[in-house]
Amino acid sequence: MSTGTTAPYRSAQQPGRDDFPHLLRAEWTKFRTVRGWVIAMIAAAALTALAVVALASLAANSKQNPAANPDTVTGPGGEAVTDNFYFVHQSLDGNGSITARVTSLTGSVLPGQAPPGAGPSGPQPWSKAGVIIKTSTRPGSAYAAVMATPGHGVRMQWNFTSDDAGLPGAVAAGSPRWLRLTRSGDRINGYDSADGSHWTEIGTATLAGLPSTVQAGLFVASPQYVAAAQSFASNNWAPYDTQAAAVFDRVSLSGGQPGATWSATAVGGQSVVSGPQGQGGPEGPGGPPCPQGSVCIGQHTESSGGLTRSDGTFRVREYGGDIAPFVTVTDPLGTVLKASLIGLIAVIALGALFITAEYRRGLIRTTFAASPRRGRVLAAKAVVIGVVTFAAGLVGAAIALPIAERKLSSGGWISSVYPVWSLTSAHGLQIVVGTAGLLAVAAILALSAGAVLRRSAGAITAVVVLVVVPLILGVILPQGPADWLLRLTPAAAFGLQEGTPQYSQVMHTCMPYNGCFPLAPWTGFAVACAWAAAALGFAVYLLRRRDA
Amino acid sequence: MSGGLRNEAGTLRESVRAEWTKLRTVPSTGWLLLTLVVLTAGVGALAAVVVKCPATCSEDTTKLSLTGIQLGQAAVAVLAVLVMSGEYSSGMIRITLTAVPRRLTALAAKAIVLAGVVLAAGAIATAGSVAAGRYILPGNGFTGAYHSETLSLAAGPTLRAAGGSVLYLALIALFSLGLAAALRDSGAAIAAMLGLLYIVPLLTDLGGLDPLWEHRLQVWGPMTAGLAIQATKSLKTLPIGPWPGLGVLALWTAGALLAGGLVLRLRDA
Repeated sequence: MSTGTTAPYRSAQQPGRDDFPHLLRAEWTKFRTVRGWVIAMIAAAALTALAVVALASLAANSKQNPAANPDTVTGPGGEAVTDNFYFVHQSLDGNGSITARVTSLTGSVLPGQAPPGAGPSGPQPWSKAGVIIKTSTRPGSAYAAVMATPGHGVRMQWNFTSDDAGLPGAVAAGSPRWLRLTRSGDRINGYDSADGSHWTEIGTATLAGLPSTVQAGLFVASPQYVAAAQSFASNNWAPYDTQAAAVFDRVSLSGGQPGATWSATAVGGQSVVSGPQGQGGPEGPGGPPCPQGSVCIGQHTESSGGLTRSDGTFRVREYGGDIAPFVTVTDPLGTVLKASLIGLIAVIALGALFITAEYRRGLIRTTFAASPRRGRVLAAKAVVIGVVTFAAGLVGAAIALPIAERKLSSGGWISSVYPVWSLTSAHGLQIVVGTAGLLAVAAILALSAGAVLRRSAGAITAVVVLVVVPLILGVILPQGPADWLLRLTPAAAFGLQEGTPQYSQVMHTCMPYNGCFPLAPWTGFAVACAWAAAALGFAVYLLRRRDA
Repeated sequence: MSGGLRNEAGTLRESVRAEWTKLRTVPSTGWLLLTLVVLTAGVGALAAVVVKCPATCSEDTTKLSLTGIQLGQAAVAVLAVLVMSGEYSSGMIRITLTAVPRRLTALAAKAIVLAGVVLAAGAIATAGSVAAGRYILPGNGFTGAYHSETLSLAAGPTLRAAGGSVLYLALIALFSLGLAAALRDSGAAIAAMLGLLYIVPLLTDLGGLDPLWEHRLQVWGPMTAGLAIQATKSLKTLPIGPWPGLGVLALWTAGALLAGGLVLRLRDA
């Protein structure tokens, strides 16, 4: 027998590894080999798609619903628009420009219509007074305009949906606003200036197919004020007509026909059907009659606006009206997408079971014996359940969205007001990816709750109450607390499923009652992610401290 | 001892006693009932705090004080699911059914004990909500000046709403129990229960649905129909009246208990 040292025994097997890719593989194996879970995940995706489509057919049968097909004008892009304003105009042949100085812009809610309690004083933030070049006086025709507004500074807007910001601040006694539009071919450039000598370009609008003769001039419009409140059973939504008056001077038009005079048109007809009572010139009810030496147009129909001219000063007043995209508070697509809550509850259950089942069966002790770094185990579980849920949600939502859209539009919801989002449009992608992301975040939240509570029933209920119940309370509570609830809970992420577009240049009454969320969609999603991250962190902390 | 116990254990009374012992010795029972009371009364008080009268004096003050039931019922559902599914996950069900071989008797005993506990805790939760409304609402302007009476259980409609809410909670408990007996797995049962409860009001509250279908969903949804019992004002405009609404929920409950009873009887435990 030799006395040499023997090499210690080494197993031919690879040493055990608990690096992250192997943990991921282990957790993925656990998920895919439980047949009930795989079936449940596929069912969650299928149920989401089915429920959304089924609900769309219920919502689609709405031919009698006045919200489905409101009486609207469509703009050059095919979207529904509001195109009502008082227009003082001349023909402009070929290239040219129009310049004016706005020295005053005032307004109010129409007297006698003021909402109960403290209504707003002064003009509406989006009242508009400025210069405009428009194809014709037909509502919905192409235009570009530069305008002063009381609440949003100088803006250049064209074809209803485009909006660029110019000089900030409102028109005041000592600070007038100079506005200018120049046309060259299809291009219209907008400029503003505080003093009439230093001009800044705001933007360039390209209006395809603009005819050589267009209408150029001054305009005023004053959108409605909406008093909205929700509180348990007492929801109300009341629009009030408003008026705005602007004073223009230093008006110059180059490229106009020689000897032409200004004419005035209420584009889109009377904006306010029942105008204020009383006599008076365009200054409004109780205002002075047409002064001697002035040209007054429209003083007998003050309810549809009017013009008073003296020397180079134009006083233009309009009751109501707006030049903007038409927005509605009804959101059929958003409602229909809420059917994905069925899939959401299913993935919450799966997320919780992914860890509580290990506690129930005692597998968790094996898991932690194999990979003692518990935080990484939970992280691997979170990645696996998150990715699987995201993929399932993506498939479900991508199947559901086009079918639901087709059912809605063929069922009477006119597509100019309720746009049909294709899967490749930015908003369509937001809905599909957002729905999948929402499901994934909820599953991770449920996994964390499962790790903390260890019992599936408690964990599932806690997450459902946290994610779903705020939506119910958000609809019935008064708006203040409802908004806070929808800002602070993971339910904020449901804003990703809003189906109607929001335009920043239209005052939008955002009430949870109408399915509108107080936070921007991806901000709301970040809130939900923060909840999931915090819950996951707390779960890791507890896992490390507690016995398994 | 075992012989005597075997003979008597078949009776419902002994079975109820056994279930009562099981329920009261599980720590989660107390926590869940406490959650029910705190959530219900807390959310009810919160609702009373945030509503102001000169703006919205026409509120149904009874109903808004009882808003918390919408959250509190989740705790009831968990408790009921655990009463049944908890035994399946721990294997206890085999011992229970050995002791009480008549499976429907075992289920009935569980239902009786659960309903009794939920009725008692639900009464405390509801009374707390009404008390919160009674003392908070007048401070927010809901006074006689605006034809808003102080909440009192002596008033018929308020008593119906409060007593009906207690019954609603008991029906939700039995509904969940039946569902859990049918599905066995606690995760599946609680997910199905919460889905049935919460999805219908979410879909009908937002508008955009065909009005006919919105009405149908409200009439046949277990939560929307059952909570009609909380209304004390403008009953004519409700999709379904208070008692018929609670009747719809009772139908759901009966269906779930029937399904649970059948599964329990026909399948291996």
